[in-house]
Amino acid sequence: MSSSATPPVLIKADRAGFTVIPARDASFDSVMAFLAERLVQSHDFFHNAQMVLDLRNSPMRSDEISELCAMLYQKSMVRVVEVRLSDDLSFALAGEPRKSRAAAPDDRESYDSAPLIVRNTCRSGVRVVSPSDCIVLGDVNPGAEIIAEGDVIIFGKLRGVAHAGAGGDQSARIWALGFEPNQIRIADLVAVPPRGAKPALSRYEMAEIRNGNIQVVSL
Amino acid sequence: MAGKTIVVTSGKGGVGKTTTVANLGTTLAKKKYSVVLIDTDIGLRNLDVVMGLENRIVYNLVDIIEGKCRKEQAMIRDRKLSNLCMIPAAQTREKNSITEEQMKELCSTLAAEFDYVIIDCPAGIEQGFKNAIAGADTAIVVTTPEVSAIRDADRVIGLLEAALVRHINLILNRLNAKMVKRGDMMSTEDIIALLSVPLLGVVPESEDVVVSTNRGVPLVHDRNSKAGAAFRSIAGRLNGESIPLDGDSRGLFGRMKRLIWN
Repeated sequence: MSSSATPPVLIKADRAGFTVIPARDASFDSVMAFLAERLVQSHDFFHNAQMVLDLRNSPMRSDEISELCAMLYQKSMVRVVEVRLSDDLSFALAGEPRKSRAAAPDDRESYDSAPLIVRNTCRSGVRVVSPSDCIVLGDVNPGAEIIAEGDVIIFGKLRGVAHAGAGGDQSARIWALGFEPNQIRIADLVAVPPRGAKPALSRYEMAEIRNGNIQVVSL
Repeated sequence: MAGKTIVVTSGKGGVGKTTTVANLGTTLAKKKYSVVLIDTDIGLRNLDVVMGLENRIVYNLVDIIEGKCRKEQAMIRDRKLSNLCMIPAAQTREKNSITEEQMKELCSTLAAEFDYVIIDCPAGIEQGFKNAIAGADTAIVVTTPEVSAIRDADRVIGLLEAALVRHINLILNRLNAKMVKRGDMMSTEDIIALLSVPLLGVVPESEDVVVSTNRGVPLVHDRNSKAGAAFRSIAGRLNGESIPLDGDSRGLFGRMKRLIWN
């Protein structure tokens, strides 16, 4: 098996745009090098294109994904619009490109981009950063971090860390179907649950800033 | 038909990975399946001690991968069961002396010959962990009812999902029923709610484990040990037998005793 025979990345074109499929056993560095070379070879061709990153066969770490997206955008303004993780784990990537496109200063106040939707439970070690709102369809376990410029909405139990209004928006809120967090943050305020308090059985709660303090109220 | 490759992992150290590997392997071998155990904890090998095979090691896992011996030469046969053998880890090498591809290849060749390939994973989530899970199609995550162990188990489950390991199961080790009743320990239900993976079984805390480890005889050989019985039913479930989860008090007498006591 020689790496020169099979390229580390397959690029497919279809109606929606391009789909980038790294090979199963290709290393991250070889994928990066191959894509960078392809962009240089044909930079006008891929300029401003939209790409789907298909990682169903070859998982990547989240920092690798963001490094790849940043490289594609820098080299040729290629926007990665979707990352396919596997059939049941797929989320739209509203991150980097949108932010750069909305660089016009008057857009900064209202992050009117689509919310980032995470369709699975966030386990320990997962860090999700959204330039807009963030919706999690699942639990946020201890050790996971959800950071959003806007609201954080969790259809599950919040047991980890949630940071709403990370850009300083004091009106941002955190919603969850159960509040047992390690810590919650809104804008520049930090709150921890009272020590030793037994969490109430699943009830819908919302955290927001009232009178300069973070307060959690049940709905 | 290719056998099953199972990795036993946990993230945190000292929760009972090696004990689990030794006992599951022994039980499956007792059921007449051919079983090979692989210790991938290079530099900190333990499985040989738990199996009582420490003094028979000549070649090890790294020797197979580097081509210094045939894999049959490194396999050490169990003292009691002829269809059970183990491949020890190298004690004087480091985790990065093997790669994920080499491990994958070894696992697939072993799976072609054996019914069960059980891999003992090192603690942590670095290269050793990546090597251990590379060739596995099933993962067993071992945890104890402690917040730190559960946190690490959660992280490991996340990594296993990202590595596309298809079947992920949980073993809850060292559960102390009295402490759960008093509310001093997390209950099985709480842990399952948090980790949300199928439970393979619960092993009660027991002094027998220490004794059997020190003697180098897996616990499942001891008919009277409750922890041994728990491992036997876990191995049964792993093998596709339907054994109810709370059936750890054996026989009619045990069940009646429980009825009277509760």
